[in-house]
Amino acid sequence: MGKAASDDDRPLIERVRKGDQDAARTLYERYFDRIYNYVYARLGRVEDAEDLAIDTMTRSLTRLDLFREQGVAFSSWVYRIAHNATVDHYRRHGKVTLVSLEHATPSESADPSELAVEQLSNEDLRAALRDLTDEQQQVLILRFFQDLTAGQVADIMGKSVGAVQALQHRALGSLERALQGREAN
Amino acid sequence: MPEEQRLERLAERLRAVDPAPPSPGAKIRGWNLVLVAVEQSAAVRPRAHPVRRLVVAAVAIALLLGAGAVAASADSLPDSPLYPLKGVLETGRGALAFSSSDQLAYRLDLARTRLTEAEAMIARHRVDLAGKSLNALDDQLKSAALLVKAVGQADPTAATRLQDELRQAVASDDRQLAGLQDQVQNPAAAAAIMQARQRALDALKVVEQPAASPSASPGSSASSASSASVLPSRSASLVSPTGTP
Repeated sequence: MGKAASDDDRPLIERVRKGDQDAARTLYERYFDRIYNYVYARLGRVEDAEDLAIDTMTRSLTRLDLFREQGVAFSSWVYRIAHNATVDHYRRHGKVTLVSLEHATPSESADPSELAVEQLSNEDLRAALRDLTDEQQQVLILRFFQDLTAGQVADIMGKSVGAVQALQHRALGSLERALQGREAN
Repeated sequence: MPEEQRLERLAERLRAVDPAPPSPGAKIRGWNLVLVAVEQSAAVRPRAHPVRRLVVAAVAIALLLGAGAVAASADSLPDSPLYPLKGVLETGRGALAFSSSDQLAYRLDLARTRLTEAEAMIARHRVDLAGKSLNALDDQLKSAALLVKAVGQADPTAATRLQDELRQAVASDDRQLAGLQDQVQNPAAAAAIMQARQRALDALKVVEQPAASPSASPGSSASSASSASVLPSRSASLVSPTGTP
């Protein structure tokens, strides 16, 4: 994620408002892959992730009148649209699990220190991540997959930086328990 | 191992997860849909002052029923009620294309429009309408090829230039169709795209075929041979829809 992307975006956004297709293309190229990655991490299905990423980019670049009223960086706004599209998708198609693992009890035999995180496959991590609550998934994907700062994540999620850091800590704990549960099975 | 250390290790492992890239076909499809949407949204004008708006609305209301529908139809897609009007407008545009160069540009523009519409319809899971758009795309390319061939009989030099434009357009459309074909899941849609690609290549062959007239002058034979010698090297970049060169 370009850390200064929001500043670079402003002139492009003004040009898109006037119907400039080159500016729209630049913003599309800048955000499409990131949004696809975000949605894919949330859903785990290529076809759905592609459709939602396209839908997100279409809404982002055609509803710039609404963006002006939001008072956030364009990048944050795009991620918010992607998040809402993901929630809508879950609502329409159902989510595999919405159970919070925050207070889940690890299996009795599981020793947290034994979890060999370096040996976990990327797909195992993605799958375990999808066992977490929506907010926990969101914070981990944005912080670690999208490499955003806690401040940027706070902007996207509409929370304080402290709240994001606390949520991140709880989410990592939940993910560890989810991975232990998978390992035990 | 202390919890903080364990969680930090887990965070590091998450950072190392490779990003999953979208397919190039999805990216192209997405851009085409975004482009259509951006064009349509740009056509919407900002609101004027309420009183002025009222006056303007009173004057324009009758015009909006007619001309407004016509304007809106220019960006409509095959699943829109305004779409038939778009065909009427396009026919009108064609009547204003007088030179062979303008006529070719008109045909290629319509072909490109049909391709964009087909992609939009596939994205909306309207394979039936996508198939119609793909057929219309090929019809335009075939008309363009016949035009180039007709020009070739009167003015071989001009035909060579038009032929080059046609080749480039077919190659560009083929690349886009190939990207679309790679990413569609619906077998009927994939078959329609494959057929469209084949028909586009067939249209190009219409131009490549030498004139059948036995009384062709040595000059015209030479021009046919000359253009045919150019064709294979340029059209070699096109890959048949089934994947064979």
